Amino acid sequence: MPNTPTSPGPGHLLTLLQLTDSALPTGAFSHSMGLESYLDARTVHDEASFTLWLERFIAQSLAYTDGLAVRLAHEAAGAKELARIDALVTAAAVPRQIREAGVKMGARMLHVATSVFPTPELEAYRLQVESGACSGHPGIAFALGAKGAGAPCADTVAAYLFSTVTSLTQNAIRGIPIGQNAGQRVLRAMHAPVLAAVDTIFTLDEEDLGAAAPGLEIAQMRHEHLRARMFMS
Amino acid sequence: MAPTMAEPPAIRELGPSPFAGTKLVGELRLQVGTRAGKAIATRQYHQGALRILRPHYLDDTAQVCYTIVNPGGGYLGGDNYGIEVSVDEDTSLLLTTQSATKVYKTPGTFARQDMVVRLGPGAVLEYVPDQLIAYRGASYRQFTSVDMHEDSSLLFCEVLTPGWSPDGKLFRYDEVRLRTEVSVGGRLAVLDNLLVRPGEDSLDSLLFLQDYTHVGMLLAIDAKIAPGDVERIRELAYRVGQAQRTPVHLGISQVPGPGVAVRALSNSTEAINAVLMAVVDELRHHLRGQRPLNLRKY
Repeated sequence: MPNTPTSPGPGHLLTLLQLTDSALPTGAFSHSMGLESYLDARTVHDEASFTLWLERFIAQSLAYTDGLAVRLAHEAAGAKELARIDALVTAAAVPRQIREAGVKMGARMLHVATSVFPTPELEAYRLQVESGACSGHPGIAFALGAKGAGAPCADTVAAYLFSTVTSLTQNAIRGIPIGQNAGQRVLRAMHAPVLAAVDTIFTLDEEDLGAAAPGLEIAQMRHEHLRARMFMS
Repeated sequence: MAPTMAEPPAIRELGPSPFAGTKLVGELRLQVGTRAGKAIATRQYHQGALRILRPHYLDDTAQVCYTIVNPGGGYLGGDNYGIEVSVDEDTSLLLTTQSATKVYKTPGTFARQDMVVRLGPGAVLEYVPDQLIAYRGASYRQFTSVDMHEDSSLLFCEVLTPGWSPDGKLFRYDEVRLRTEVSVGGRLAVLDNLLVRPGEDSLDSLLFLQDYTHVGMLLAIDAKIAPGDVERIRELAYRVGQAQRTPVHLGISQVPGPGVAVRALSNSTEAINAVLMAVVDELRHHLRGQRPLNLRKY
């Protein structure tokens, strides 16, 4: 009798790799999520200061916003629960450019996910976004695509966090600038913070969604009138 | 078997309490309507460590001002407070506090305040409390839920400051969360979920406080707030901020509702208050033709 595999097999891994690829056309390369204001203020100016900033960003912001949204969307039981997470994560983006970034990247992620990895849940979410009942968020579309491929929740959350970290690092390479090798060192250094954030995310609940640090929010708001911007947020 | 504590009287007129099932250290329920052309409490209830003072009218409009008092002196770990405010159609309420809200060391668990606000069509609520002072070891969570109509108006602000020791040294509290959820016409518009963990030093606090100690927030939701108003408010706030002796680091952005959100960091309550009150006065003037707010007049 053949052995029954206990692992779901590597199929979901390929879906995660494709959805987290920095070439995925979501427009993430044009969003700094407030980082550019720290570059402008010279608070972030080299590999070391960027490493520190990114570590804080993962633990103190990303875990509570997109990271928690990915987990809640992966666990959501139906369209109504998804709509609530969509409403909360969108309403929690108080700085205008962050809200617009979410809606823009959400539409693109949803388009990619529904055309490449269609599932009934993704299709239902797409219809809710199309009708205006939902705003659309990249984390939710990503979670549904990964879930459809059989990716476990923790893998999905970790993959999403790391793809955001990769985009921000690519943006820092251009924006600071730092070298490609420095960028790779930063990414390696973010493994532990990303895994710690995944652990944190599994201790949070819905009322934590969108918890925001005031200094970061001010940076994100002030980006609206920054001179000579490279990024849209 | 006789209960050890008297049950609070049922208040049929006010309807079921939103805090039923939670043991509250202080509870305040207030419904404000218009009688003889003036806003006034039509129903009210309080128990424990929350009360309100008699109403004031600060200008020649029908707006009533109520002052919340906490005779208990401060919030401790495990304390739950509940405030319910309903403002009837075309009625205007200004809600403030008698003094700063103090949160002391909360070992084991956080202190919590829940506030439930309902604004009828055309109703106005301006919530302008004194600052919240969090002492060393304090954890505090404030949950505010506002349900308003498309044509009602909300102005909500908070200033968060660290407590100080007798020698004037500032304490670092553990954590403060101010979660404010606003629904307009039954649809969630803004979730302002402020989280502050000062940490051990300014590196811990890079995204929270940077090198500052005080936090201010203001949220205004009103259908009449246009994108141009947000720009004007930003310029005004920056100008007032720059005129302060203590630097004020500010962010202003447009939010759905529509409305405007303000974030401020500084090392001084007065400097943050100067900026927030300038925005409050500008909004009162622009939206309602009201004079600047002077809470310490009476």
